[in-house]
Amino acid sequence: MKLSKEEIAHLAKLARLDLPEEKLEKITKDFGSILEYVGRIQKVDIQGIEPFTMPAKSEGWRPDEAFEVDEATRELILANFPERAGDLLAAPGVFETPKK
Amino acid sequence: MKPLNEITIAEARKLLDEGVATSKELTQACLTQIQSLDGALHAFLEVYADDALAAADQSDQRRTDGNVLSKLDGIPVAIKDNMLLQGKACTAGSKILQGHIAAYNSTAVRKLMEAGAVILGRTNMDEFAMGSSTEHSAYGPTKHPRDPERVPGGSSGGSAVAVAANMCLGALGSDTGGSIRQPASMCGIFGLKPTYGRVSRYGLMAMASSLDQIGPMTKCVEDAAIILDTIQGQDPSDQTTSDTEPFRISKLESRSSNDLKGLKIGLPKQAWQAGGIESRVLENTKAALAELEKAGAEMVEIDLPYADEALAVYYILMPCEVSANLARFDGMRYGLRKQGLPLFETYAQSRAEGFGDEVMRRILLGTFALSSGYIDAYYVCAKKVQALIRQAYERAFNEVDLIVTPTCPATAFRLGEKLNDPLAMYLEDVFTVSVNVAGVPAISMPCQEDGGMPVGLQLIGKWFDEATVLSAAKVLESELAKQ
Repeated sequence: MKLSKEEIAHLAKLARLDLPEEKLEKITKDFGSILEYVGRIQKVDIQGIEPFTMPAKSEGWRPDEAFEVDEATRELILANFPERAGDLLAAPGVFETPKK
Repeated sequence: MKPLNEITIAEARKLLDEGVATSKELTQACLTQIQSLDGALHAFLEVYADDALAAADQSDQRRTDGNVLSKLDGIPVAIKDNMLLQGKACTAGSKILQGHIAAYNSTAVRKLMEAGAVILGRTNMDEFAMGSSTEHSAYGPTKHPRDPERVPGGSSGGSAVAVAANMCLGALGSDTGGSIRQPASMCGIFGLKPTYGRVSRYGLMAMASSLDQIGPMTKCVEDAAIILDTIQGQDPSDQTTSDTEPFRISKLESRSSNDLKGLKIGLPKQAWQAGGIESRVLENTKAALAELEKAGAEMVEIDLPYADEALAVYYILMPCEVSANLARFDGMRYGLRKQGLPLFETYAQSRAEGFGDEVMRRILLGTFALSSGYIDAYYVCAKKVQALIRQAYERAFNEVDLIVTPTCPATAFRLGEKLNDPLAMYLEDVFTVSVNVAGVPAISMPCQEDGGMPVGLQLIGKWFDEATVLSAAKVLESELAKQ
């Protein structure tokens, strides 16, 4: 299995990674040997085998409850916002192109 | 008497209890060692000298008052930079989190602090724990304490060096495919990956959630047991933690010091007869096997199929989980954000600037293996082979109590040697990953000390049977110390 540079560019778009040409080329090359190596699992006989899933340790769902944090914790969370408008998180507009 | 920073946790406990040393003296000894060595080794990303000394004072006061909290009370330890400590920076070795301050405590670190341990600082690591050399840290590589031209292994390379170079008495690492055991092996210390579900992952920055596990990195087996005893346990904040009977140190003490009679050890021919094991590694690990046998253990060759496939399964499942877990770093709520761009470009440019090449390579690999048209051939197929690998371990453990392999095929390699060949770096994990894929516990312990590059032996146990792993390791440790 080999992927082309165009296919890697499409994956980068899906993964929201803005990669320059030279990085796309490097990754395309790396993918060749990695995919060849991991492809060996397709030769394993998996007839009738169910995919492994982690046995659930908990008793189903817990109530979706908000829990209070102290003021210091709240301030730490707010301080990590890349951009703040008062106590609100500022984010780029979804439908507009910002003025540079 | 040895300098205070060179002793084990168990020895320090004794000195503290006897009033021969104080926590402040232990802490100061470690801080002095950090100051003199860390400029060259770069094990720490940040040292909390003032907080550590204050915590040591409090511990000394508790001891004076007769209120010692636990065996770890007053013991200076280090934590890996992917475990949250409230109010302190936590970056997972990544630029995308530069300046990020933890808003809450991870369960494992909280338990250490509640036990009275003194947190010295956060240690260097491969970015988001992706790597086997600590060269993929955005903050520069950590150097091997015996040869600064070599890597210490990774991803918990900072913690391994902090312990090996006596800059702390013990440390926490995290292990997704070998990230505790491989650097422990390369640096000549003890590193335990507990059973998946033994230790809470709450507040550990997720790499591959179904494989990640926090564990101790220490100078002796007993210290690993003390730390495991402290950090283990079911946690309402991590639903994958198990309600299984906790590990008890008393089980470790119940086995007499040099007797392994009745213990059956399996040597998988897929590991011991694999090509490409360095001769020094083969010689040292086989000498350690001979000691286990002398102590009374019965050795049998076993068949543990899917050894090569396990690495392939790992390098599919792990990137899939990475691509999902790291989607949260989108420049919106925390971390790096490129400003003044439309929404798509904000995401794509923030991520491309904040993440290193190895992280992006794995995100893309996971995106591919989960994409429509390929998910059955890669992700689903890997989950099926994972089921077969677990079955293979179950069958093996019907016959034997422990499985033993070398931890790594080779000793510490040179800086830069594998940096441009990701597959060569991935092959470092060939003996360690199947343990995570199966979810079982394993320790890496140093073989005979001969002054050269350290060699590690890996002891793998049944699910939740850390007691057998640690008690066999303890016997081997004392046999090797006699030589």
